[in-house]
Amino acid sequence: MTRNKVLKFGVLTVMAVIVGRLFFIQILQHEMWTEKAAAQQTLTNTLPAERGEIYMMDGSEPTAVVLNATVYTVIVDPMLADQEAVAEVVGKAVGDKLVAEWDEVFANRNLRYYVVARGVERAAAEQIAEAELTGVWLQSDTERVYPEGTLASTVLGFVNAEGEGQYGVEGALDGRLAGTDGLLKTVKDVNNIALSIGDENVRIPAEDGENVVLTLDKNLQHRVEQILASESERLGFANLSAVVLDPNTGEVLAMADYPGYNPANYGQVTDISAYINHVVEDPYEPASVCKTFTFATGMEYGVMDANTTFNNEAVTYVDDWPIWNAERGAFLLGQQTIQTAFNYSLNTGSTQVLRWLGGSETEITAQGRERLYEYYHNRFGLGEYTGIELYEALGSVTEPNAEIYGINSTYANMTFGQNMQVTMIQVAAAFASVVNGGHYYTPTVVAGTMEDGEFVEAAAREPVRETVSEETSAKMREMLYNTRKAWRNTGLDAAGYYVGGKTGTAQVIRDGAYVLDETGATYIGFGGTDGEMPEYVIMVRVWEDGKVAGGQEHALPVFNALKTAVQDELKVRPAGM
Amino acid sequence: MLVRKHKSDRIIGVLTVVLLAIGLIVIYAIGPMRANVMNAAYGTDYGENYFFWRQLLNVSLALVAFVAAFNFPYKIVRRLGKVALGLGLGLCVLLGVLALFGSALAQCSLGACRWFDLGFMSLQPAEILKFGLVLYLAGLITERKQEGKLTSWDFWLPFAVVCSVSLFLVIVVQKDLGTGAGMIAIMLAMLFMSGVKMRYFVATVGVILAAGVIAIVAYPHRMERILTFGSADSSDAYHIENALIAIGTGGMFGVGVGNSVQATGYLPESINDSVFAVMGETFGFVGLVAVVGCFTILLLRLLRTARFLPDDEESLVVVGIFAWATAHVVINIASMTGLIPLTGITLPLLSYGGTSMLLMAAALGLVLQLSCYTGREPRKEAVIQAKTRRSQRANWGQLERQLAQRQRAERAERLTERRED
Repeated sequence: MTRNKVLKFGVLTVMAVIVGRLFFIQILQHEMWTEKAAAQQTLTNTLPAERGEIYMMDGSEPTAVVLNATVYTVIVDPMLADQEAVAEVVGKAVGDKLVAEWDEVFANRNLRYYVVARGVERAAAEQIAEAELTGVWLQSDTERVYPEGTLASTVLGFVNAEGEGQYGVEGALDGRLAGTDGLLKTVKDVNNIALSIGDENVRIPAEDGENVVLTLDKNLQHRVEQILASESERLGFANLSAVVLDPNTGEVLAMADYPGYNPANYGQVTDISAYINHVVEDPYEPASVCKTFTFATGMEYGVMDANTTFNNEAVTYVDDWPIWNAERGAFLLGQQTIQTAFNYSLNTGSTQVLRWLGGSETEITAQGRERLYEYYHNRFGLGEYTGIELYEALGSVTEPNAEIYGINSTYANMTFGQNMQVTMIQVAAAFASVVNGGHYYTPTVVAGTMEDGEFVEAAAREPVRETVSEETSAKMREMLYNTRKAWRNTGLDAAGYYVGGKTGTAQVIRDGAYVLDETGATYIGFGGTDGEMPEYVIMVRVWEDGKVAGGQEHALPVFNALKTAVQDELKVRPAGM
Repeated sequence: MLVRKHKSDRIIGVLTVVLLAIGLIVIYAIGPMRANVMNAAYGTDYGENYFFWRQLLNVSLALVAFVAAFNFPYKIVRRLGKVALGLGLGLCVLLGVLALFGSALAQCSLGACRWFDLGFMSLQPAEILKFGLVLYLAGLITERKQEGKLTSWDFWLPFAVVCSVSLFLVIVVQKDLGTGAGMIAIMLAMLFMSGVKMRYFVATVGVILAAGVIAIVAYPHRMERILTFGSADSSDAYHIENALIAIGTGGMFGVGVGNSVQATGYLPESINDSVFAVMGETFGFVGLVAVVGCFTILLLRLLRTARFLPDDEESLVVVGIFAWATAHVVINIASMTGLIPLTGITLPLLSYGGTSMLLMAAALGLVLQLSCYTGREPRKEAVIQAKTRRSQRANWGQLERQLAQRQRAERAERLTERRED
């Protein structure tokens, strides 16, 4: 073989090996390499949905109280950027948002990525963008802003660093507010820039979250919070909560806790109980305001009326347990009307109504317990979720035939709102149905949505069930009116208005037993134009650990202050005007 | 044996132009991506078609060089062998000196200075050196052969000096193992085809291998390359992996012109050394086999030309060019397909780049010119015998001398005749 042929066969052999190798890579291993390519070339990006904004009513117009703002992170590529120019332009624009030292940023010129400022506002970011600096880029991010500051903080909740809603509306309605992220799946270049190459690109646009309009009236909410703050100082109690309902729709017009917090700086809250919305998340014993429900139940079963009398002996015994009136001793002894029992909150009176419900003068019977439970739990919804669009606590109301020690005593206590755990919203919604003609509306904080700047109202509210008859309702309004009037420190309700209400002073359970040195105060009432149906229901709670709060002394004055504000804001006109 | 000038080997001409055109198409398709990658990474401001226009210029210059080399008479070119060699060596030395003083004229990357930066283009002196080597060695071998001194120091001394100085400059000074390998291929192929006895050839291969082992062991980065070849730890693993991804995703028919994703920055040197991988992605198995086929046919035509050229020197020149092109094609493709450790070397006529394309085109133009003087019969040459008897071996030197004598006479006659053309 000539040497030329040796070279020829050499070339052919090598080329054959190469072709074989190509066949192996391109045909046999094709799928493997395609997968590897896809793994590094595919850009899978979520297209973030914009979180819905939250509005409150300002009169009849929604106004934003939680907004999204775009903020920017400034990133520098130290290999390409010019230190002097960047330090000057960026430094001037971002001000105190700078998070890096310039000398440190440029200490290592081989770095390609250095975050120099965060949370930079749009105007400053635009200044930087206009300078067109090499090696500087901006990354946008959204942040919640609260133009009303701390307003309704426990109702609104906040959004944490992961973008998840926490507490309040942000938490409970997170699904609606968050929207649905979209998906972008595309071929990308080595710098993560999407390419138009390829036909398997996927783009599912994000569905932005709903802009939720709350039923809360911004101005009323402001005033309610101001009143709670000033009353807290005046009365010397640390905690106050209040809720204002429209009894004819179940809409919450104001809902406030004192003290609140600033959702923009939610991280600075040291005690997480500040996040709690006490109106919906904190079951407690509302005490004598529940006599409203007991007497309404008695009327419904026809066993009593406002003028029905009973014998008050200051104490009455249930299975050998004494049930005392709040004012122990010789007070209003003898035959008294139920109205009097309501006025002066005689526990013996409400206990007697429970006996009558059971068809007895002297004993509490199963029938009595069952009837009370039918109204308390099944109709008024005490110890049940109301269905409001917020995180709710359930509370508890003992079942009538529960096999527990002292069931009769428990039920006797329940007639004046003790031995049961309910939330303010449960009581307020039930109370609204007692005074509005017997229609139970699910309490709600959502008035509708904003779509493209237009307010889309939620469907008209319909009562979910009837609690009491129109007649009972009318009688209860009168009883509540009379009860309110019976007390001096009520202050006169202005002429032309019709306001009724009931106090409650509850003993408090600490570590499983009632304590003597602490009581919580509640007041619930309704009001409106004289001769017409009620236009508002207000419930107030005042308490502080280790302090004695009284319904008369502490909750009632707060109610009075709120009542004026509510009539003002809702423009409730007096009769004859 | 007398030959008359006849038509050139069309196939060589056509394949050269076809390969240049394919290269231009690929650069047109991926040039914008390259510009994008460079702009993003280094803040440069290359226009979308910057690389295409540059390559168009390169290809045009290459065609001019090709045509010029085809027309410029070899009998003049052959006299320039020593000049070209001297120029190549001189430029390499100059580059080394300039680099030593940190001159801006010396273009370095990662500590290896292989190019002159002339502003408008860069010049790789090693490519000129290759050309010079081919011409010089062809002349040296032919002369010594005619004098019957192919086994004497008169041949081996200059051969060894020129070769080792060249390799020292390229492999040690410029740290360019790829180009060095190409030179070794040229030297060995020409020595092989000189007709020198096998044992001399084998001994030379042995010496070069030994030197090669030393060169590799003495340089940790080369040792590391060899040791980590095929493993993920290798510093080249990313490059090879992405070359394989590009080739592998091409499948049977490729993703089509302009749809290469690997060229958008994943694959380093996408327009230069890695252009074969991008072509694999773009044109698929079918396309690559066609390209490999083009190269194979071209290389075989070169070999055939060498075989039919009656003149020793001319034949050796073609052999040298054949070795040069083969080394580039094989080393580049084998690197890209993971058959051998990654070696930075261009793919002839296809890679983006000035000097290498220009000189390869010129070399092929020269071959095309020489293809006009092939004879009808293959030349007589040394034959590798399976077994040599002692008595035959004793005759070998005599035969060789006789053969040389006859060829010398023929050659003198032919040159006289050509002058009369």
